[in-house]
Amino acid sequence: MNALRNAIRDSAEGDIARTGPDTVVRRYRFAPGFIGFSGHFPGNPILPAIVQVCAVISLAEEEGGKPLRLAAVRSAKFHSPIRPGEEVSIRYRRSCASGEDVCDATLSVAGKTSAAFQLRFSEEEASR
Amino acid sequence: MAAERLIPQRAPMRLVDRLLSVHEGCGVAESVLPRENMMADGEGRLDEVAFVEMIAQGYAAFKGYLDLVEGKPAGEGFLVGVRNLEITGRAYAGDRLLTSIRTVTSFGGFAVVEGIVTRGDENVASGILKLWLVEDGR
Repeated sequence: MNALRNAIRDSAEGDIARTGPDTVVRRYRFAPGFIGFSGHFPGNPILPAIVQVCAVISLAEEEGGKPLRLAAVRSAKFHSPIRPGEEVSIRYRRSCASGEDVCDATLSVAGKTSAAFQLRFSEEEASR
Repeated sequence: MAAERLIPQRAPMRLVDRLLSVHEGCGVAESVLPRENMMADGEGRLDEVAFVEMIAQGYAAFKGYLDLVEGKPAGEGFLVGVRNLEITGRAYAGDRLLTSIRTVTSFGGFAVVEGIVTRGDENVASGILKLWLVEDGR
């Protein structure tokens, strides 16, 4: 596992909760010293969009107990910046249709959706 | 030209090293990530999300160059959308990765950009990004 994913896991607060048969929720808080804020941007730290995607993959791996490879970002919208110290709720729903492992995820801060995206995973050749 | 002159991201989140070429609405940027990069695992394999950021930063470097030529400071840019980005290959720390971007359209501070990340002759990722460009953001 790379250092970014380790730091994301360390930023989780509380346990993974299931709110439906395929729906998972967990809270995170990315502290000012979180590695993902480093250099993005100096004097104006914002959680990078790719770290938000990475957090969902990390949560799905943790919940599923096996590594996943990101095969596609089918769509993504990043509505508002996430700042250091904010409580972030990550929710995703996984489905398998036509043999494709698809994950619909949202990140929200204070009840407002800050990002929403659809990912496609592959378990093949994942090696973290 | 060194990307550090063109984009606001700094290490370890600066993932492009140099802007190699600019031609009309297109540009090519180069990345060689070190083994100790936070997105490289124990085998040196890069996290697939890095490719998304390379396309975003490749475009930021391209736009930063155009701003520089016009005597303007490079503004901040934010990734606001992704569409149909497929990851078809893998890459490792130390690989020379080239990110080619093409401006599909730009309007009202937004740009839609097509990007391809290649490793040698292999495409490792390609897709469409939407970016919001903040004028005079720094």
